[in-house]
Amino acid sequence: MTQYLRDIKDAVVSAFKGMGITSKHLAKKPVTLQYPDERWVLPERFKGFIINDTHRCDACLRCAKVCPVDCIYIETTGKAKDRYMYRYAIDYNKCIWCGLCVAECPTDACQHSLDYDHALYDRTRLVYEFTSPAKPIPCHKETRLEQGYYVPNADEERAKLAAKKEAELKKAEDETAAPDPSPDEGKVE
Amino acid sequence: MESITGLLTKIFGDGMSPMALLISGGLTMALIMSLVMAMCAIVFTWMERKVAGFLQSRYGPMRVGGFHGVLQPVADMLKILGKEDIIPDEADKALFMLSPFVIFIGSLMAWAAIPFAPGFIASNLDLGLFYIFAVSSAAPAGILMAGWASNNKWALYGAARGAAQMVSYEIPLALAAIPVVMATGSLNMNAIVDAQGGGVLNWYIVHDPFLFLAFCLYFIASIAEVNRGPFDMPETESELVAGYHTEYTGMRFAFFFLAEYANLFLVSCIATAVFLGGWHPIAGPVFLPGLVFLIKAVILVFLQMLVRWTLPRLRVDQLMHTCWKVMVPLTLLCVLGSGIWMMVSGELL
Amino acid sequence: MSDTTVTHGWEHQDKPRVQQSELLEINMGPQHPATHGVLRLLVKTDGEIVQSVTPYLGYLHRCAEKIAEGCDWRQWMVYTDRFDYLAPMNMNFGYAVAVENMLEVEVPERAQYIRVICAELQRIASHLIAIGTFGLDMGAWTPLLYCFREREEILNIFERLSGGRMLYNYFDIGGVRFDAYDDFAEEVLFMVHVMEQKIVEYNTLLTYNKIFIERTADVGVIDAETCYAYGCTGPVLRGAGVPFDCRRDDPYSIYDRFEFEIPYGQGEQGTVGDCWDRYIVRMREMSESCRIIRQAVDGMPEGDFMSPDLKKLVKVPAGSLYTRTESSKGEIGFHIIADGGSKPFRNKVRSPSYSNLHVIEKVGPGMMISDLVATVGSLDIVLGEIDR
Repeated sequence: MTQYLRDIKDAVVSAFKGMGITSKHLAKKPVTLQYPDERWVLPERFKGFIINDTHRCDACLRCAKVCPVDCIYIETTGKAKDRYMYRYAIDYNKCIWCGLCVAECPTDACQHSLDYDHALYDRTRLVYEFTSPAKPIPCHKETRLEQGYYVPNADEERAKLAAKKEAELKKAEDETAAPDPSPDEGKVE
Repeated sequence: MESITGLLTKIFGDGMSPMALLISGGLTMALIMSLVMAMCAIVFTWMERKVAGFLQSRYGPMRVGGFHGVLQPVADMLKILGKEDIIPDEADKALFMLSPFVIFIGSLMAWAAIPFAPGFIASNLDLGLFYIFAVSSAAPAGILMAGWASNNKWALYGAARGAAQMVSYEIPLALAAIPVVMATGSLNMNAIVDAQGGGVLNWYIVHDPFLFLAFCLYFIASIAEVNRGPFDMPETESELVAGYHTEYTGMRFAFFFLAEYANLFLVSCIATAVFLGGWHPIAGPVFLPGLVFLIKAVILVFLQMLVRWTLPRLRVDQLMHTCWKVMVPLTLLCVLGSGIWMMVSGELL
Repeated sequence: MSDTTVTHGWEHQDKPRVQQSELLEINMGPQHPATHGVLRLLVKTDGEIVQSVTPYLGYLHRCAEKIAEGCDWRQWMVYTDRFDYLAPMNMNFGYAVAVENMLEVEVPERAQYIRVICAELQRIASHLIAIGTFGLDMGAWTPLLYCFREREEILNIFERLSGGRMLYNYFDIGGVRFDAYDDFAEEVLFMVHVMEQKIVEYNTLLTYNKIFIERTADVGVIDAETCYAYGCTGPVLRGAGVPFDCRRDDPYSIYDRFEFEIPYGQGEQGTVGDCWDRYIVRMREMSESCRIIRQAVDGMPEGDFMSPDLKKLVKVPAGSLYTRTESSKGEIGFHIIADGGSKPFRNKVRSPSYSNLHVIEKVGPGMMISDLVATVGSLDIVLGEIDR
C-alpha cells in the first residue's frame, strides 16, 4: 500500500518537475534559425561545393585520381606542349564532399566554395562544367606561361623559360652561324 | 437554443409555427456547432504546433500567413483536400468509408449540450452531462471500425488498444463528474454552471478537497479519452506507425484529425462547465460570458498540450493498470469523500 | 496434385471444433519509425506479446569493405565516416589507429590530443542522439529536441575544425587533416561546461520521470552471460554490470593518461542489465567524456598535427592486425590484412551494433511490442554501421 501511494506520488511529482522544465522553455528564445532569411556564419574550412579555378589548373589529374567516388572528369588532348584540357567537370550527384581533392591539389585550383544550397529540378544539371571545349586550357608549363595562365613560382619559371629560350636561340644561332651564313637569312631579319 | 430561437422570431416575426422554429433553430445551432468544430481543428492545430515548438526551443510554423504562420492550418487543409483518396484493395470498403464519420458525428453530437454562455446551448437537456458521456462513447466503435476495415496489422493493433483504452477511461471520466452532480443535484449543464456563480470560491474545483482531486482525475482521464499525451495508445507513432488511421489519406484522414482536436476542446469545455464555473468570471458580475468560457477552456487545452509534449508514453498494460487500479478507486473515493463532506457540511440531506 | 483431396471446410462439421489460433506475423520495418533506419524485424506476436523476433539486415549495405580493396589506405578513411554516421570521428579514430599500428608510425602529441577531444565530443554527440531517440521511442518528444540542440553546438565545433557537419573525414593516417583553430580550447571547454548543466536537465526531464522508469526498468534485461555469448560491447555490456571499456582495459592512443570512471549498470531502478541501466550508462558516460575532455584540453601541447615522416601514398607492410577501439556504440574493430601495396588486401570491420542488435533474438520473445521498441531503442543501433 505504501509502495502504491509512493508510486502515485512519484508519478505526480516527476511529471510536474518535467513540466516545469518544458514550460521554462516557453519563455526562452528559440535556438533555431529561420533558414532562408537568417543564415549562420560559415567557417573558413567549410566544405561547400567544390569549384575549380581553371586559371590555376594544369590538369595534373591528381584530384581525379584521389577522388574515392570518381566524380571529377578531366579530358585532355595532345602531349607535352600541345597538351590541352578541354573538359574539367565535377559530378555533384556523386561528390561526397570529402575534401580529398582540395587537399591534394598542388596549385590550389580545386577549392571549397561557401555555396551549399543548390536545389535543382534536374539531376543532369548537377554536372558542373568548368571549361568550355572552345577554349581549352593549356597544361604544359611553357604554354601556360606564354598564354598567361597561373604557374607556381611564375617569375622563376619565366626566368628559367627565358634562359632556356635564349639558350635555344643561341644554339640555333650557333648552328646557323657555324656554316656559311646565307645572305637570305639576313633579309628575313 | 433559446437565444437562437429568440433571434429567429425577431427576424421572421411571430408567424413561424413552433415546429418550424424548432427545426430552423436546431439547424442553425448545428451549423454553428459544426463551424466551432472546424474552427477547433484550425485553431488548435496551429496552437499545438506553436506550443510544441516553443517548448522545444524552436518556432514552429513561421512562413504561411505572415505573423507566426497563422495561415498554416489553411494551407494544410488545402493540401489535404488535394490528396488522393486511397482505399486499400483488401479493405472492407463500407466500414472503411463509414468510420471517420462515426467518430466525427459522435464528437459533434456531444457539442449539443455544452453551455457556452447563458442561453447559448443547443439543447438544454435535463440529462445533459449523461448525454455527453453517452454519445462520446461512440468513438471507440469508430476506431474499431477504422482499424478492422483497414486490413492492416498495425491499424488493427491501434484499434484494439484504442477501443480498450477508451472504454476503460470512460469510467473514471464519468465517475469523476459524479461528485459535481451530487453537489448540484442535477445533470443539467445549465444548472451545474448556474450553481457555480458568484466568484471563484463557488466553483466546484474548490468546493472541497475531494472535488479538487476529482478535477485532477477528470483531467487525466480526459487526456486518455481523447488519445493524447502520455496515453496515445491508438496512435503510438513510434510503435504502431500511425495506429488506426495508418491507411487513411486525404479528407478521410482529415476527419479523424478534426475529431481529435474537436474532442480535445470538448473535454476541456466539459471540465470548464463542470468544475471551473463555466462562464462565470473569477470575481464580479457575468461579463462577456462566451469569452470567459473560451479562455478557461483554452487554458485547459494548453495544459493538455504541455502534458503531451513533456511526458513519455505509458505501455498498454500500464495504461490499464493506471485506469483500473489507480483512477477508478480514486474516483470512487472522491464520490464517497465528497458525499460525506456534503453530508457533514449539511449540503446534502 | 492428383492425389490431394480438396477440402471445403465443411467436412469436419460434425467433429468437435478445435480452437485454433495462429501467431500474427508483422514486419516491423524497413519503414518503421522505431527501427532507427532501415532495419527489418520480423515479429511474430500473440496479441501484444512477442513470440519471436528475427532481424533482417542488409538494406543499407554499401560494400564498404569490398570498396576498400580498390582504394588506397588514405582514401578509405572517407568510407569509415559513413559506417556510424552519428559518430564518424570514432570510426575515423579506429581506422587511423589500426593503420598506424600496422605502419608503426609515431603520431605527434598534438594530433593525439586533438583526436581524443574530437572522439570524446563525438561520443557525447552520439549519446545525445541515443538518449533522445530512446526518449522518442518512449513517446517523449521534447528531450530529443533538447538533445539535438546541444548536439548542434558540438557540430559547430566540428564544422569549424573540419568543414563538415556530419561526415568530417578529419582524421588522417598519421595525424589529423587540419590543426585546431585558435579558440578551439575555449570553445570546447565552454561546450563541456554547458553540457554538464544540461545533463542535470535531462535527468530531471526524462531519467527520473516515473513513467520513463516504469517503461524501462526491468524491461529487456540482458545479462552478462548473454552479452558474452553474443559479443555485445559498449553500453550494452556495461549496462549488464560489466565495467569493460577498451579505453581503459586495452588503451590505445593516449587514453592511459587520463583519469576517468567506467560507469556500469547497477540495477538502480530494477534488474541489472535492463533498458534503464543501458540508458543511465550513456548518461554517465557523457559526464566522464566531459572529464576526459577537460584533461585533454589542459594537456594539449603545441607542435605538429601530422606525422612528418609519412609519405602521401602510404604503403603498409605485409601482414595482418586486428585493432579495437571504443566507439560510442561499443568495440569497433578493424582487421587489416595488407600485402605490402598501396591498397588494402582486405579490411574487415567488426561493428558493435551488429553484435548488439542480435541480442534482440534472445531477449525479444515474451515481451510486449512496446517493450520490443524500448529494447531496440536502448541498444542504440545505427544501421549504417551494421550493414556497412
